[in-house]
This record gives sequence, C-alpha cells and structure tokens, in this order.
Amino acid sequence: MLKKYYTEMKSGLETAYQQKPRASIQMTIQLASIFLEAYRADKNVIWTSFYSFPMELLAAFDVAPFDFEIAANLLPTFNADVAVEIMNKAEEVGYSTDICSYHRLAVGCDMLDYMPRADLLLSSSYFCDGKSKTNKILADRYGREAISLDIPNKISRESVDYVADQLRRIVGKIEEVTGQKFNLERLRECIHVSNRARRAYGQLADLQKVSPYPYIGVPVINMSIFGNMLAGREIQEQIYLDMVEESRKKIMEGKPAPEKYRVLWLAWFPVQPTVINQIFRKNGVTIVMGELARNYWGQMDESLPFESLALWSLRNPYVGAIEQRLKGINEIIDEYNLDGVVHFSTDACRHSCAAQKLIGDVMKERDIPYLVLDGDMSDKRKYSPERTEMLLENFIGIMAGRK
Amino acid sequence: MPESKGRMGYFCSLVPTEIIIAAGFKPVWVKGKAEMTATADARLYPNMCPYIKSLFADAVEDGEAEFDGLVFTRSCDGARRLYDAWKAYIPSKFHYMLEAPKNADDLAVTYYASQLRDFADRIGKASGSEITGPDLKKAIKEANKARGKMRDLYSRQKVSPLLVAGSELFSLGLELLHGDGDDAADSTSALQKKAAGSDVSAKGRKKIRIMICGNVMSRPDIFQMIEDTGAEVPVADLCTGLRSFERIVDEKGSDPFMSLAQAYLGAPRCSRTAAPAETYNRISDNVMRYAVNGVILTALKFCDQQLYDIPYLLKRLNEDGTPVLFVENDYVFTDRDRIKTRIEAFVEMLAS
Repeated sequence: MLKKYYTEMKSGLETAYQQKPRASIQMTIQLASIFLEAYRADKNVIWTSFYSFPMELLAAFDVAPFDFEIAANLLPTFNADVAVEIMNKAEEVGYSTDICSYHRLAVGCDMLDYMPRADLLLSSSYFCDGKSKTNKILADRYGREAISLDIPNKISRESVDYVADQLRRIVGKIEEVTGQKFNLERLRECIHVSNRARRAYGQLADLQKVSPYPYIGVPVINMSIFGNMLAGREIQEQIYLDMVEESRKKIMEGKPAPEKYRVLWLAWFPVQPTVINQIFRKNGVTIVMGELARNYWGQMDESLPFESLALWSLRNPYVGAIEQRLKGINEIIDEYNLDGVVHFSTDACRHSCAAQKLIGDVMKERDIPYLVLDGDMSDKRKYSPERTEMLLENFIGIMAGRK
Repeated sequence: MPESKGRMGYFCSLVPTEIIIAAGFKPVWVKGKAEMTATADARLYPNMCPYIKSLFADAVEDGEAEFDGLVFTRSCDGARRLYDAWKAYIPSKFHYMLEAPKNADDLAVTYYASQLRDFADRIGKASGSEITGPDLKKAIKEANKARGKMRDLYSRQKVSPLLVAGSELFSLGLELLHGDGDDAADSTSALQKKAAGSDVSAKGRKKIRIMICGNVMSRPDIFQMIEDTGAEVPVADLCTGLRSFERIVDEKGSDPFMSLAQAYLGAPRCSRTAAPAETYNRISDNVMRYAVNGVILTALKFCDQQLYDIPYLLKRLNEDGTPVLFVENDYVFTDRDRIKTRIEAFVEMLAS
C-alpha cells in the first residue's frame, strides 16, 4: 500500500511540477523518489532517521535510505481513517495507545508488509526513546542488526570522539552489509555539498525574517524534517536556492501572504489533516520559523568529516539539557520579530511535553504569548478540531489584544 | 575512607554507588512519594512516568533537605526532563547529570569510564576531599560484598517452598538500595543464616512460582498479592530487584573506572539499553533457572522503554508456552484492587 501511495504521489507531483515548478513540490518529489528507491530489489536498503541521522554518511555510499517513521506517517495526510485502521493492527498485538502514534503506525505498516525490506537499521538515541526502540523491534523482524547512534547530553572532546568513533564503526558495518568500499574523499565531498546547501538554506532563513513573510510557513517546518534526507546530495542546494529565488520574487512583486501575526512553531506539525492552516490563513497568522528549521549546526569541517558529523548531531536543540533548546528558541525570538509562540503537544512525546512549562516560564519572562496546542501527529482519535479551533482562536485574540 | 559527608541521592541503577561511597557520602536510592499527587503534573507533564513525577513531587512538597546532593542520569527522556525541571525549580546543594551511554559496546564503556572520572572529580570536590584510588577500590570491594550476599540469597530461591519469602527478600534489597546499610547488612546475614540452616529436602507441598519482571518498584505490593494467593515469588527481574545485585565489579582491574563502566553497562541490562530479544532471553533463562510456572510483566505507566517491549515479550513467552500476565502500575498502586483481582485470576489459571 505504501509503495502504491508513493508511486501515485510522485506521479501527481511531477505533473504539478510541470505546470507550476515550485521548490517545495520538488522537495516532495525527492521524498517520494527516495522511498520508492527502497523498494527496488537491486538496492541495499538502510533504514534510518532522516531528521536525526547524519545523512551525508549514507550519501557517501550507493544505498537506498528509508525512514520508517516518515514513510508510514505520510499516510494520514492521504487518509487519516486508513492510518487509524493500521494503528489498530499494532494495538491489537499489545502496543499501548499511550505510545507515540508515529511508532504505532510504523509497526502496523510493517505488520502488513507495507515496508521495503531492511538490510541494516540505523537510528539515533535522540530525539526520543521510542524511535530507537521501534528500530530495534523492527530489526528483529527482519533478522537484521539495529544500531543506535548514541548521542550524549553534552558537547566535549570525549563526546565528540565517542560519536565520531561510532560513525566510523557504522561505516564498517555498511561496508560489510553492502559489500561496497568506503571512500573518505567521497564523504568529504558529501560534506562539502552539504555545507553549500546549508549556506543556501541560510539565505532562505534570512529572507524569512522579512515582514510580511515571503514563504508559507508549514513547508519550512516540513523541510526541517524532510530536508536532511538530501544532505550530501547536490539537489539539496538547488532546492534551497530555488526557494530563495521564489521568495525574493514574491518580495519584489509585493506578493507575500497577508500577515497580521508572526508565530514560532515548536516541536512537530501534525501530519494528519487539521484545521490549523485554515484558521491561520483566515486570521493572517504566519509560521515564520520552526525551532528545527533554524540553521543551528554551523559549517562542517570537511577535513574532519566524522568529528563534524558528530558535532552536527550534538548541536541538535533536542540533545542535551533544556538550555540548548531554550538557547535556540531565544535566538529565533531575537531575530524574527514574533507575536507569539505555539508549542504543539502530542502527549506521547514526553521529552518535548515535559519541557513545556520551562519554555513557558521563559516566554512569560520575555512577555511573549505562548500556547500549548494539544493534539496528535497521526492519530485522529486523539485530535479534536473544535478544541484546536477554540485554543487557536483564543490565542489569536491574545495576540490581537497586544497589537 | 573519609568520614560520612551525608546522603547522596540517585535514581537509576546505572549510577556506580562505589564512587559516591568513595567520596564519603552514603548512596541512597530515592524512592519519591509514597502516594500519588498532582504536584508534578503542572511542571512536568501528566503523561510522564509516575516514578519521575513522584520524585519531583516529593522534592517540591518536602524539599531536598533529606539529601546532600543528587545524581541524575541520561536514563530516559523522562529522566532528562526531570533534571531540567529540578535545576529550575528545586534548590540543590549539589547535582550532577551522569552521562550513561545508551549502548553497551566497548566504545560506550570507554566513554562511560571517562564520564565516571569526571563524576568522581566533581563529587570529590563537593565532598571536600579528592577520591583516591585506594578509596575507590575499597568501596568497590564493599559494594561487591553487599551485592554478593544478595546474590547468594537469590541463588537459594530455587527450591520450593522458598526458604525466604520473595517479598521479604525484595524488601531487604530495597533497604540496601535505600542506604539503610548497617541494618540491611545485619538482616542479609540473618537471612543467609536462616536459609543456610533450613532443610531443603523437607518441607511440604511445592507452590506455584511466579517471576516478576519490569523496571522500578519501591514497594512489595505485587509480591504480597501473589503470596496472599498461596503462590511464591522466587525472583524479581527489576531495577530494584535481582538486576541491581547481579553486577560484579572487577576488584583487580588496573583502572577502577573502566572496571565500573564495564560492570554497570554490562549485562544484565534493563529495557533502556537491551533490545527486546535480549530481555526475552534473560527472562527465559530465569524461567528455567528458578523453575517458574508463570511470569508477571509489569511496567510503569507511560514508561516507553517498557511499553515498546511488552508486545514482543508477550508474543515470545506465549510461543514458548510460558503463562504470562501483563500489569501496568502507577508506582504507588492506587489501583491495587484491580491488580489483585487479575493476579488472583492468573494464579488460579496456573493452578488449574
């Protein structure tokens, strides 16, 4: 079923792109293409996490990366009811509804044989415990090895070495599984390409500071999740440069979306259909930045590829003590002229939800309206459009009262 | 060894208490509140592990006066946020986040050893006296001895009827972890004598034997519920049960920090580090070793590490024909009657 969805999605997007060549459409075409590649019998398939694994390392091999979380959880965007039916499969064998719907859906898809086969499963110890756990559970089903890249809480000489050494060992494992020889120069080139893309992305992030905002907000958040799948590939830079060009054109032509309120979005954006976009459009609210969409990782040193990729992981806002996350949020607030901050709250995302109060304290100190918007990423049984509307309307009212 | 500098609290069994002892503090596994409160809900999150919430509520409501410092670990998502909230809302004399790796291979062991050195340096400064090699080696020896006594008692639980009730043995382990050292050591020796003096060959009808597997538990409620039915609990594969006492630290190693890292990251691992298959294999081994008739899997509510493993474990144990019951708990057993009914039905099923 997943393969069918992605085949149809790719075909539809290619038609759309011919009629209206937009970078965000190209990004989604790439996503579908990467997923479909994983179903090819002649490819070595490495399951991984696009948003938390240094993808440059995989770009240095001829492998098909596959993100089980994202692949399964685009389903609710097509059909939220079917997604619930699939989650039910996982729940029937004992997966509690207290655990993340992202993982219940992935396990359900796997039980129904919707996923491509895995030759090796790579995950990371952040963002959450559940992702790495699911990786291990699925690995057992395929009789393959699951490796979790363990990212410590703090940046130090020892922690950089520890992560870099793990990456070196993962390289050896990929060589073993694929029979391909690792080429250090190719990895350096991938990091070089990734650095160029980062610079292009930086231009986009700067343009997003313009008011009215030139680019629709949700694709920016999506890009922070999907975008890294292309890290180390030439097309990543091109897509970002196209986005920059599209944004500049909008600014020049005076065609940005009407903007009354600028908000920062924290944590995830639901993949199931919701009323959020509709309410934002109606009220002139733009999401100008997501905390993971910020350029937080800096240029990578191509001469020290493993250490650079280790640092990329260690600098993620979701690694470490809350101060690292708060630092990023504060920087965005300083740079993006915001009217409010929304923290999306999926109740199974415990590490994120348990930081809401601490973030709220900082927002209070900075006198910025802050909304904890509860819902669920993929499970429509845990989402109420009426409640979402009520919370957002109240929040918009608060922002309006301060204008 | 320096004189006692006070009580140093810790939450996770990955913390090497030997370093705390060597620094002159008494290591105390922190139990948290004995009853459910909503205190932590507002500052953490309602859907958090009840053990984490209980620790936080206890500190908010009663202060941290009981302790001279606290050691946190990167055990799980909840523990990371507990540390953040603690720093923000609870004044502490000393707190330290110990970087316990989530893997257990040689890279992780080397990294953990480096973090243990840092921990020893920091806690040594907090105590006012640097930890010396002999101090640490002495502490390793002491801790090995205490754990060895508990292991000895557990190893005698292979007979039925048990020489020592499971609830009694579990409670004794809790006393040791909770830092009630001298009394607990006396009790351990007394129990050893009692067990050694019993005539194993005699003694009445064999009982139904149930193993409890899970994570953190600070009270023997489930043990007592099982024992009230006439069944017995020879072994508890819990963070606060047998697992805590199975570690043996190499006393002759040239680098005590490496020895500690190897022992603490080595088997037996909890579901935080172990893949579900590893957990299953350990349960399965213990089923054979302790001649168990049935297994009760228990998990703290909202403990992802456990909840993700449960379907796998249920499936594998069912395939083996090992009767198994899964019971979620909220740490303080507010729904004890419901759990009791399920346990009674389970034992009845085993008896039939």
